[in-house]
Amino acid sequence: MSITVYLVDDHRLFLSGVKAELAEDFRIVGSAFDVDTAIVEIRGLNPDVVLVDVHMPDGGGIAVIEGVNESNPDVKFLALSVSDQAEDVIAMIRAGARGYVTKTIEPPDLAEAVRRISSGDAVFSPRLAGFVLDAFAGAIPSEEDPELDQLTPREKDVLRLIARGFAYKQVARKLEISIKTVETHVSSVLRKLQLSNRHELARWASKRHIV
Amino acid sequence: MGGIAGGLADTLGVPDAYVRAAFLTLLTVWGLGAVLYLGFWLMAYDNVEDREVVAVDTGRGLGLGLAFLGLMLLLETIGWWPNPALVLTAGALAFGTAALTDSSKPGPLAALMDPNVDRPSRTRLVLGVALVIGGLSIFFTSIGAVFELGVILLAIVLTGLGIVVAFGPWVRRLAADLATERNERIRQEERAEMAAHLHDSVLQTLALIQRTDDPAQMMILARHQESELRDWLFGSAPLDGVDLVSTALKNAAAKVEKDHHVRVDVVTVGDHAIDKRAASLVGAASEAMVNAAKHSGADRLSLYLEVDEDALTIYVTDHGEGFDLDAVAPDRKGIVKSIRSRMEKAGGAVVINSEPGEGTEVVLSMPAESE
Repeated sequence: MSITVYLVDDHRLFLSGVKAELAEDFRIVGSAFDVDTAIVEIRGLNPDVVLVDVHMPDGGGIAVIEGVNESNPDVKFLALSVSDQAEDVIAMIRAGARGYVTKTIEPPDLAEAVRRISSGDAVFSPRLAGFVLDAFAGAIPSEEDPELDQLTPREKDVLRLIARGFAYKQVARKLEISIKTVETHVSSVLRKLQLSNRHELARWASKRHIV
Repeated sequence: MGGIAGGLADTLGVPDAYVRAAFLTLLTVWGLGAVLYLGFWLMAYDNVEDREVVAVDTGRGLGLGLAFLGLMLLLETIGWWPNPALVLTAGALAFGTAALTDSSKPGPLAALMDPNVDRPSRTRLVLGVALVIGGLSIFFTSIGAVFELGVILLAIVLTGLGIVVAFGPWVRRLAADLATERNERIRQEERAEMAAHLHDSVLQTLALIQRTDDPAQMMILARHQESELRDWLFGSAPLDGVDLVSTALKNAAAKVEKDHHVRVDVVTVGDHAIDKRAASLVGAASEAMVNAAKHSGADRLSLYLEVDEDALTIYVTDHGEGFDLDAVAPDRKGIVKSIRSRMEKAGGAVVINSEPGEGTEVVLSMPAESE
């Protein structure tokens, strides 16, 4: 059974390009140019993975994620954007996206990311790994939840290698661990990213009016 | 009355009401007004029917008004004023009433109701009110000095109120107009600046892309334009005039992309101001990028900068051919040497990891502070 994918992007040209790239490996069940149509259709179609653009009129990708999360908790989101702005990336992840890639990603890498997302793992672009290292750098805030508010040394190692451009497979080999372990580390970082109250994350999120 | 005032007004190009006011004022100077009226009537009687009509002209009206004022002053100087108070009262009242009742333009009352009625009529309203009040106060002053002070105060207050009522909305609208105009100008300047920038950058690049057949070349152009536009939009320009290592690295990476047709993904964690050592580091990183672009065969490079309290570390990674470190070609040895000597001179270190088929990683590290 092939993975079902739904696409949301207000740039029609880009949308049709991505559709063509992914059509070989996945079943594209639909696409939308705007937030409202996307929410209605995703609720009805319940696809495995939704590729969603960050910047769109009427609330952008965040509105789509929030509009679907309650009714279809199994739908997984991969955020796509032309922007590398930290606040955009962090806000999408905190809204519930399980991954973030820029639109300049190579087609095979995008397909790999969709597969990874559908199997429940997280997808970090090198840039996102860099942001996370930046956000979790320095001393931990004394209060709050130390488990959530700091990265383990191993997680940092994994993120550093991702930031240096290595694929999960290469990361695993370099650290002499299994790919599964790499995936576990990344998913754990994703959880911290979504739940931590670290000052930097809160600041980035608040810039996009997300709490 | 006899159509004389109207005829004269049309000939002179001033509103009827003012001509009548002039006649009335002159009436108080030994009845001069009546004599003149009669004289004009006799002269003009014949051609009242086909009198020449001149359009109302503000400038001429003002000139005539001044001439009339001069005439009155002349009459006063040569002692022709029988009773200055009477002349002043009559003159002020006559002209004030004229200003208020003149029908050649929208009336002052209409102007009071609707702030959008043209401006001259408001000026006229104020002038009219002021003249009437002035006239009345002179009159009251002349008939008895008992209420003198009170009357003058009343006149001042009334005049002030009149001015506020008449000018208030106009002044406010003028200020609002000025603000709107200034905002509009700023917006236009911004738009012009943006248009100029887009013209020099994006449009040129799009034109170039249209003329290019080579997909690789198109990609380079698009990439380069993308990063340039991104910098312009999101402003990764140095803050407060301090150049940062991250900015310098991004610029160096953009140059390598342009010159060597590869893609460089730049990720930075932390940052540092450019000093002499950091500049050496950036220079070495550039050299490493160029080297990787030329020899690795990879179409993508990764550049990763991490800054912590102890050191600045840069990783230049490619996933290309890699090479056997012990068997490098002499020309490549030279480059490696150059990178190494550059780093070591500045107090840093270089580690190169490579294996055939595994790609290459150049690790450049520089202590944050010199000991």
